[in-house]
Amino acid sequence: MPKRIAWLVLLAVLSAVCCCGPEKDAVVFSVGGAPAELAFWEELIRDFEKQSGIPVELLRQPTDTDQRRQGLVVALSASKSNPDVFLLDVAWLGLFTASEWLEPLGSDIDQSPFFARVLQLVDIHQGKLMALPVYLDGGLLYYRKDLFEQFDLPGPPRTWEQLLSYARTVQSKMRKTNPDFYGFVWQGAQYEGLICNFLEFAGSNGGFINQGDRICLNTLKNRRALAFMHDLIRTHGISPPSTYTEMKEEETRTYFQSGNALFERNWPYAWALHQGPESGVRGKIGVAPLPALKDGESVSTLGGWHIGISKFSDVKPRALKLVEFITSYETQKKLLLHLGWNPGRKDLYSDPEVLEVAPHLRQLRAVFQNARPRPILPYYTQISEIVQPRINGVLAGKYAPEEALAAAEQEIATLLERYDTK
Amino acid sequence: MKEERLKKILLALGALLTVLFCLSPFFYMALTGLSLHPDFLLPDRPLCITLSHFHTVVASDSVHFVAFLRNSLIISTASAVICVFIASLAAYAITRLPVPGKVFLMFLVLAVSMFPPVSLVSYLFKLMSALGWINTYQGLIFPYVAWTLPLSLWILISYFAQVPKDLDRAGLIDGCSRLQILVKIIFPVAAPGIFSTMLLAFVFAFNEFLFALMLTTDHSARTVPVGIALFEGLYGQIPWGEIMAATTITTIPVVILTLMFQRRIIQGLTRGAVKG
Amino acid sequence: MKTERLKKSSFHLPGRPARVPALDREQWIALGFMVPLLLFVVLFILVPVLGTLVDSFFLDVTYLPKRFLGLENYGWLLRDPGFWQSVRFTCLFVVVSVPLEIALGLMIALVLNEQLPMRGLLRACVLIPWAIPAAVSGRVFELIYNYSFGAANYLFRVLHLTERPVNWLGSEAGAFLALVVADSWKTTPFAAIILLAGLSSIPDDLYRQAKVDRATFIQRFSRITLPLLKPVLIVTLLFRTIDALRVFDVIYVLTGGGPGGTTTSLSLFGYHYFSAGDFGYGSAVSVILFLLAFALSIIYVKLGHFEREVS
Repeated sequence: MPKRIAWLVLLAVLSAVCCCGPEKDAVVFSVGGAPAELAFWEELIRDFEKQSGIPVELLRQPTDTDQRRQGLVVALSASKSNPDVFLLDVAWLGLFTASEWLEPLGSDIDQSPFFARVLQLVDIHQGKLMALPVYLDGGLLYYRKDLFEQFDLPGPPRTWEQLLSYARTVQSKMRKTNPDFYGFVWQGAQYEGLICNFLEFAGSNGGFINQGDRICLNTLKNRRALAFMHDLIRTHGISPPSTYTEMKEEETRTYFQSGNALFERNWPYAWALHQGPESGVRGKIGVAPLPALKDGESVSTLGGWHIGISKFSDVKPRALKLVEFITSYETQKKLLLHLGWNPGRKDLYSDPEVLEVAPHLRQLRAVFQNARPRPILPYYTQISEIVQPRINGVLAGKYAPEEALAAAEQEIATLLERYDTK
Repeated sequence: MKEERLKKILLALGALLTVLFCLSPFFYMALTGLSLHPDFLLPDRPLCITLSHFHTVVASDSVHFVAFLRNSLIISTASAVICVFIASLAAYAITRLPVPGKVFLMFLVLAVSMFPPVSLVSYLFKLMSALGWINTYQGLIFPYVAWTLPLSLWILISYFAQVPKDLDRAGLIDGCSRLQILVKIIFPVAAPGIFSTMLLAFVFAFNEFLFALMLTTDHSARTVPVGIALFEGLYGQIPWGEIMAATTITTIPVVILTLMFQRRIIQGLTRGAVKG
Repeated sequence: MKTERLKKSSFHLPGRPARVPALDREQWIALGFMVPLLLFVVLFILVPVLGTLVDSFFLDVTYLPKRFLGLENYGWLLRDPGFWQSVRFTCLFVVVSVPLEIALGLMIALVLNEQLPMRGLLRACVLIPWAIPAAVSGRVFELIYNYSFGAANYLFRVLHLTERPVNWLGSEAGAFLALVVADSWKTTPFAAIILLAGLSSIPDDLYRQAKVDRATFIQRFSRITLPLLKPVLIVTLLFRTIDALRVFDVIYVLTGGGPGGTTTSLSLFGYHYFSAGDFGYGSAVSVILFLLAFALSIIYVKLGHFEREVS
């Protein structure tokens, strides 16, 4: 009798194993985002199903980039055909191509509507097109036009020093009536966005410098940038103390949107929300390229999401149809109009209907086009995870800039040594 | 006499502090869930009571909270039932039958319950994705059963040991098989103990976080702890009102459960840890 | 053990020789009853742990060819400041939170052990924090520690403890304290319940006798309660130590390991590597944590005198 039970259990386990891999013909598409964004994706997918007759299954992930990467990494490292198609953060392309998880999209795809520079920098790997941009991002400076007029300031600041002085002036005057007012909000919490912010503060010659088989971080530019970031919070007090604990994109956006800040560094998506019906700064804002260092150029970190097909997909032709649908003119326009996503296609930047809704696109096209990517390296995630706590630690007053950068550089060197393929 | 009085005051104070310590976060949580804005503690912010957060959390499909709750209830209930059945088979054998290598097996099971979850999660992940069980109920139920087995086994042993062995002998004379004895004789007698164990196994599965975090990648397959940890507002900002509404809703069944079965849970817990 | 089995078999089959290598029918049945449990434990716990151990000897990074390293991963770990940081944090967390939880738990247990009106209700209250998922209560504490409008800063302002709001999760000490408080809140009830069981097994006669002898409350506590509670106290201590050693949920939710990586526990440190696709290194971290917990659980088994229970 007990033996029979044992066999039954074994049988149950085995049968469960066997019937759990049904042949699928749907394309599994992994997207992430806030609930409202996911709801919009669902709508889009339904349109695609109607048009093409190809069933699509959505894999819904959160906004959090690390969570999304982990979900994909674990599925792909197990060589699973699920998901077939996925959105990739621009920072993961190095990892995904080096791991050989992406199926080349083939030469039939017309590359001309996309920004050639972005494709070249990010999507093309050893001459093959591995992914297509769905959405381009670059850091922007949002500012309060109404306060600029009220306090008689000229146009948006060109340099960080200008930004600092404007912010101090306005903040000291605003504080009399509004104790929560801060000059400048940006993303300083310990996460990937901190690296993007750091690279923008560091300017065109700062950031990660590739020197042969080494990555240099402890440079004068970087030290200056870190000291400046630290001072914004601690010396000048124009950025709130919660900058390095809480401030991610949405926290900064809501802070600025409630009317409590003069400047905000954020991605383009914030524009539509700032101008939304519930916004406290509706109609009062302007947007400009980020300031530059005194002797440098303005730099914006390239962000955004690309779309690719899994090497392990068992429905590749159908998957390609989905990719074509999502990067099509019509879909990209819908994404822009509904989610405020800046299209990966350059032809949309001159669409009159688009420019009517998002007039800032005309002047900002150059920002996206020239945005600087983070290093495209397979181990970029690990590097970022080394650097994030160090920079965050500087903002928290735990390390001096030099100390943090030297330590991070050392840790990166150790990492590369450990990964060295002998 | 004076000491008696002092003791009474101290006790009352202790009881009050205990209740305050345990329950005040819940009041704050429920209040934030009900408040229109989460910053009602600031000096000049009014407290506006509204049910809108609760409504969003329950009614909006895109928040998936109802799915989290359903997944958690199904997974925890299934693992508790399967776990207790399997554990009672083993507990029966250990208390009544000559299990070869008994001491070794008992120590093995005990040691297993001390393993840190992170030391198995990566391999478990590989196993589950090889089986295609990521984002499925069984993908969590099976590890949860295994994870709650040691504790359940220890508790059940202490309950079964109290059931007189004469009952077995009587059953054997009547021609029952061992399994029939377990199901027809022991189960009814030890029902309260089995129920306590099931409650504990349920709570353990309901609370588990790391496995659920690694073994699910789709919103609609998440459990409550992971869902709430990754909870986002409609546009991505931290929606404190909605999160607290969701945590309040999660807490309600737990509170009811503990109020109803406080004695059983405490008994089970104590037996699991101290052995009667 | 052995003698017991022999006794039993001789009871059933008096004529049989004493040394029987083969299993008898009863033993087969017994094994059959154990099989489902063993199957689950082996498949879903032991195999994964062994798999992790094997992984820890490899360079197992998603984009590199898998390569045997022997103990090299461990060598790198010992030179990794991030690893030592998480070891330091984990140990400090255990050393601070466990005694705190046990002290608080003991106080609560002493209260619960007395004859009080609505004792059942009081006990149920104590159980609630234990029954709530740590990830869920973690979010409640995240709100409590919120810089701009959280309850912690509200209390401090109302009680005039600080002039400016405290940036709880933003400073190393603040974040550490915040974690300890959140974790203690969740786990003190467990300690209290276990200790309560120990308290209630102390015979009342002893206290009555002590009263007759005019012993003070403190004397009674230190001469009767503590010594008799010692075994239970040790078990609770070890239980909580092993649990605190593998802390993950509350940190993941509350600080994510920040600020500046100062609150990264060993579990979280390993998890970071898993989620970045570096399975070998992450496995090595898990193995070390596993060994620590295993050593402690052996102590637990030894101190808990489970041999007696089994035989």
